This record gives sequence, C-alpha cells and structure tokens, in this order.
Amino acid sequence: MKFKRHKWRLSSSTKLPLLVLLLMGAISVLISERVLSRLSNGQEEYLQGLSSTYLDGLSASVVPAVLRKDSWEIFDTLDRMSPKNIRIKLVETIVTDTGNVVLAANKPLKHPTLSKLAAEFGSRFVADRAVLDVESNLGFRMRSIYHQGKEVGRIYATFDALPFLQERKNVFYTLLFTNAVLTLFIASFGFFAVRRMIAPMRVLEEHFLDAASGELKAISRDEFPKGQSDASRMFDAFNKLVESEQERGKLVQNLAREERLAGLGRLASGMAHEINNPLGGMLNAVDTLEKHGEKVTTRQRSISLIRRGLLSIRDIVKATLATYRPERDARDLTRQDFEDVALLLKQELMRRKVDFFIDLPSKRETFPNIPAGPVRQAMLNLCLNAISISKEGSDVFLTLVEDESYYNLSVTDNGPGLGEVPLAIIEADDKIQVPDDMSGLGLWMVREICSEIGATLSAKEVSSGGTEITLRLPISGKEVVKDAA
Amino acid sequence: MPSIKKDTSFTRREFIIGSTILSLFANSIASAASEKTIRFGLTPVFLNEDLELLSAITSYLEEATSHKIILTTRRTYQEITALLLSEQLDAAWICGYPYIKYQKDLELIAVPEWNGRPEYQSYLIAGKDRKVGNVDDLIGDIHAYSDPDSNSGYLVTNALLHKKGTSSDDFFKKTFFTYAHRNVIRAVASGLAQSGSVDGYVWEVLQEIDPKLVSRTQILEKSEFFGFPPIVATRKSSKTTEIQTLQKALFDSPNSASGVKMLKYLRLSGFAQPDVQLFDGIAAQVKLLDNGS
Repeated sequence: MKFKRHKWRLSSSTKLPLLVLLLMGAISVLISERVLSRLSNGQEEYLQGLSSTYLDGLSASVVPAVLRKDSWEIFDTLDRMSPKNIRIKLVETIVTDTGNVVLAANKPLKHPTLSKLAAEFGSRFVADRAVLDVESNLGFRMRSIYHQGKEVGRIYATFDALPFLQERKNVFYTLLFTNAVLTLFIASFGFFAVRRMIAPMRVLEEHFLDAASGELKAISRDEFPKGQSDASRMFDAFNKLVESEQERGKLVQNLAREERLAGLGRLASGMAHEINNPLGGMLNAVDTLEKHGEKVTTRQRSISLIRRGLLSIRDIVKATLATYRPERDARDLTRQDFEDVALLLKQELMRRKVDFFIDLPSKRETFPNIPAGPVRQAMLNLCLNAISISKEGSDVFLTLVEDESYYNLSVTDNGPGLGEVPLAIIEADDKIQVPDDMSGLGLWMVREICSEIGATLSAKEVSSGGTEITLRLPISGKEVVKDAA
Repeated sequence: MPSIKKDTSFTRREFIIGSTILSLFANSIASAASEKTIRFGLTPVFLNEDLELLSAITSYLEEATSHKIILTTRRTYQEITALLLSEQLDAAWICGYPYIKYQKDLELIAVPEWNGRPEYQSYLIAGKDRKVGNVDDLIGDIHAYSDPDSNSGYLVTNALLHKKGTSSDDFFKKTFFTYAHRNVIRAVASGLAQSGSVDGYVWEVLQEIDPKLVSRTQILEKSEFFGFPPIVATRKSSKTTEIQTLQKALFDSPNSASGVKMLKYLRLSGFAQPDVQLFDGIAAQVKLLDNGS
C-alpha cells in the first residue's frame, strides 16, 4: 500500500482553527439572529404602543364626526392631531366607514373622499396589530372606531418605519463587525496555538508517511519540541521503533545471506558428488594407465575416460560460476542457462527422487533483454523450493511461454500447494514485507529479484494439484527496469 | 322720677365708620358707571382664531370708546346671531345673509370698506390642477361650503344653482360645511373637496398671508358685488350711547394709530356709513330661494 501526500489536503493545524472559525461564525449568526429578533419584537411592541396611543385619541375625537360622516371635521381632526416630535412619522391616516369607503384622509388626493379603499392597500393591515414592512420601510396599523359597542368606522394609519429599520440595520452591521473581529481574533489565536501544539504531530506524521513509503528514518534531535515532554516521549518511542525496525531489516538481510550460503552449501555438496563420481573413474583410469599404459587400446580408453570425467567437471564448475558470480551476469538469458539450472539441480533431484522437465520455445537460443544472472537465480530458487515440497516420484516442470509482450516463466509442482505465508510473500507489494518468522526467505528473495528486474510474480493452484508460480518478464525488460528505477 | 334722655347724636367712631362705608359705596357706584362694557360678537368671517388680531380690535375699541370690550367668538354664524338676538351681545360683525334674515330686529352700525368700497364678492374655487372652466364643470363634485348662514360661502352658490334649475344636493355629489372661509380654502387645496364657495375678501387676503395654501386653488367664478359683512346691533341697543360710541370709534379708526393697526390687520380701508341698499343683492337672492323652495 502506498501513502501519497495530497497538496490540497488541509493539515490539522489549519483544520482546527478553521473549525473554531466555523463554530464562532455559527455562534455569531445565532447570537445576531436572537438579538435582531428581540430588537424586532421590541420595536414592534413600541410601534404597537405608540400607534395605539395615537389611534385611541384619534378614535375618540373623530367618533362624532364619523357618525355624522362629516368629512371636514374628520380631516380637520386628522390635521390637528397629526403627531409631531415623536420618533415615528405619520405618513398617512385614512378614516373610512365600515364598508371601507373613505370619509376623509390626511392626503385626500391619494385617497379621495367617498372612494373605496383599494383592496391592495387594505391587505397590508392586520386588525389591531402594527405590521412592519421592511421592503417599503413602512409600518401599518388599523383600528376600528366603536360607538356604543358597535363598529362605526375604521382608521388606517401608515407610519414611516425607516428609523426602526435603520436602527435594525445599524445593530445588524455592528453585530456583524464585532462578531467578525472577535471571530477572526479568536480564530487567529486558535490557529497559532493549535499550530504550535500539533507541530510535533506533523513531524511525526511526516516520518510515518516516509516510513510507509519505505524511507524509514529516525527523528533528529533538532526536531524534538522544546518544553513538550509528551511529544518528546512520542518521538523517543518512534525512534526506538525505527531502530528496532532497522535492526530487523539487517537481520533479514543477514538471514537472506545465510540462506544463500546454505543453498550454496547444498549445491556445493551436490557439486562435490558430481565431481566425485567422475573423479573415482578418473583415478581408476590413472591407475590403469600406470599399470597398463604401454597397451595402446588400454591407454586410449583410459585417456578417453579421463577426458569425459574432466569435461563433466568443467560443465559443473562453469554452471556454478555462472550462477554465483558476485557481479550479476549482464548477458541475455540463453537456452544454456536452463540446462545449467538442470545440471545444478541434478543432485537434489536424485536425492529427492523427483523428475525434472524443461519446456522451452523450440529453436530459440537466446532470450533478448532478459538478464541471465537474476533469472537463473530466481529459477534455481523456485525449482529448489518446488523440489523440496514435492513428493517422491513426482514431477517438477520449468516452462517458458512467450506471448506478445512477456515471457512467462513458470515452475509447476505436484506438491500440497502453497501455504498462507508463501502466498502472502508472493502477493505482497511491500518491499520491506518480511515474514515475521523468517520463513520463506527463498521465495522472498525471488520477489526481490522480480522487483529488481521489473518482473511480476504470481501463484496459482493447478487443477491436478500442486502449485504454479509464474514470473512475468517483460520482453523489453531492460527498458522497464530502467523506467522503474 | 328719673328722666330718660334719648341720645340721638353720632359718636366720633360711629361717624368715621359710617363716612368710610359711604365713601366706599359712592366710589363703587362711580366706578361701575365708568366701567361700562360692550359685548361685541365676531363671526368667523376672517382669521378669528388669530389672537393678535383679536387683541388689536380690543385695544383699539377700548381706547376709542373708553369702554371695556368683551369680544365673543363662536364656531358658527348662527350661534353669534342667536346671542345677538337674545341680547347677550350688544353688537356683532355678522354676514349680510343673517342681517337680511333678521333685518327687522337688527340695525346697521357700520359697513367695512375693503379696497375703498363696502362691497365684496363670492368666489367659486376649485383645485389648482383641475381642468374646469365654469360652474357646470363642477357637477358631481364634493363641494365645501363655509356656513349655512354665509352669503358668499353658501347663499350665492345655491342661488346660482337655483337659477340653473338645480340644487346643491342634486348638483354636487356631497357637500359639507367647514364653518370658516379659510377652511374652505384648506379643504379645496388639500383635495378633500374638489370645489368650494368662499368669501372673495378672505381668499384675497389669504393669498397675501398664506400664498402657499391659496396657490393650490383656482378661482372659477366671481359673483356680483354684495354688501360687505356689516357691524350690526339690535334695534334696542343701537340707541344706547355705548353703541353710538362704538359706531363713532369704527368711523374714526383710520384716524388713530391703533385704529390703523387694527385696519391693517383686517386689510380694510375703514368703515362706511350704514346703507341698507348695499344688501339688496343678498335680499334678492334670499327672496329667490325662498320663492323657489
């Protein structure tokens, strides 16, 4: 699994102050809404009271005139009783009969006497309640005129509500400004405080992300926070973790080396047997030459025997040198490499009584761009693995199939199948993923080789029982390796 | 036998007390004689709510008559006429129409002169922005009258409509009384009424005093000239010295500073000798309407 750093992701030192900012914003909105709502209610109550006082007085004054439908008296009363020097200005007052026919208005040209009050105008009023309209900046109030308990007329009063609405606006902007300043101040403070508090966490985060990307390194003492003992303890713990992980890595490498040496030992033992066999014949031939060298036929047969024995030894040495040369063989893979592998496995196959078969594309002598050294090593490891888990008398196949872009090199056995651990090693894409119990190191080394040469490793159960492990080698292998680097 | 002597002489103390009481009583009688009052009524012909004007009238008349002047104002012509006829007032400045109505009980004292003549006109006015040419265009209006006992503010228009074969109720959609000529102008200027009948003298004077108000009206028709609203007294009181003194004071008003001040307030040039014929026009209209009704 790869950990990627996204530039757009907000760091914790930004997220937390941002959260504080949002929270403060939400609180500001809530407080502002409550204050404005309260102010609005207060203003409407004030308007209600003020308009009630005015309309009560007016109502009492115009009752006789309304009963007589005396337009002049009503007009004169409206004119004389027009409120002055109060906070709200009266825009217009209309007195109608119960059928909403205008008896008089303080602006007769707008509301002519004896005209029917426009329904649209009347719809702005709610009975006995002051209404504020923020769009027109007007307040509306209607009051019925009663005489002996009976409604005889109505008063419609329109007030200039601009001072109220202006006050609301002023309060709103004051709240907005104050809250904005407070929020910014608190958020800035929060930003710096949180940034300082979580700075060690960021360092830790960076190192964890690096570790996840395979670059495990300890936190330097310079990065240790001053005066934050908790964070320092965490850093120390992380560094100990890094130390132990690095030691583990070294251990793995040592084990791998030892494994290789062990494999080499096994092969050396096999080689000794291979050399020993012709050596016995060759010593006999030398004895024969010593005793009966004067006989031409005997001498020729002995020399021929010695020659074959020496050739056999030469092949074994050559194959071993090709596989275990310290510097990896830079040449391309050839048919001979498969034969060498078979030669090197011979002793182990005989010991395990397992048959080994190689299936290659006919006539092809070389496989361009496939590095011989690493592939031989991988083939050898896989085959040794397959032989080790195969039953006596079973078969192991080494097959190379070529398709358009890849060589598929497969080792197939008839064994009991792969366990969970080997399968995990094959499928894991983590470079430092090493088996906890250090088992399957051979397989792990094959995976390392694959990673090195840009090949992929896969495993599957075969229908007849057993396992097929495949190396998928790109035909343009070297370029891929170069690209991967 | 002892004789009883009846002492009929005053003691000094009794004399002093008695003469003091007599002196106080005599003084109070003398004071009452010199503190005669003239109760003078004003109809809302003009700016009767103007306290400075009322003060100027009182000051001049008290100075000129040496009597205490009690000015009485009422909202309607009818109230002033009733007070006069019931002798609760000694004299009053009323309209020509009630004078004609109660001519047998009333005596002309003086007739104010405006622009040098004791006559005035009635104006038919309408809102400034209305496109109207004559009285016929006012049909269906809401019309403002001044007072049912006013010549210029009611009678003239009714007589005019009567001559046209109609009546105020039929011709206008609605009429109302404002009980002051100035209020007629206010009603028309504001648009409360589309037209109104008003005293020409008041309209002209207000044009000078309150041009903004008057500028929102236009004169549609001017009537013929009628006798200016006169100062009258009951026939009984007109013979008294107080009223004769008042009459003389009115005639002499252009000759004193306070008189001129009063006339200036009233925009009048003086007071003319009573001439009943000045009111023949009003009488003719009353007769016309009486016959018509």
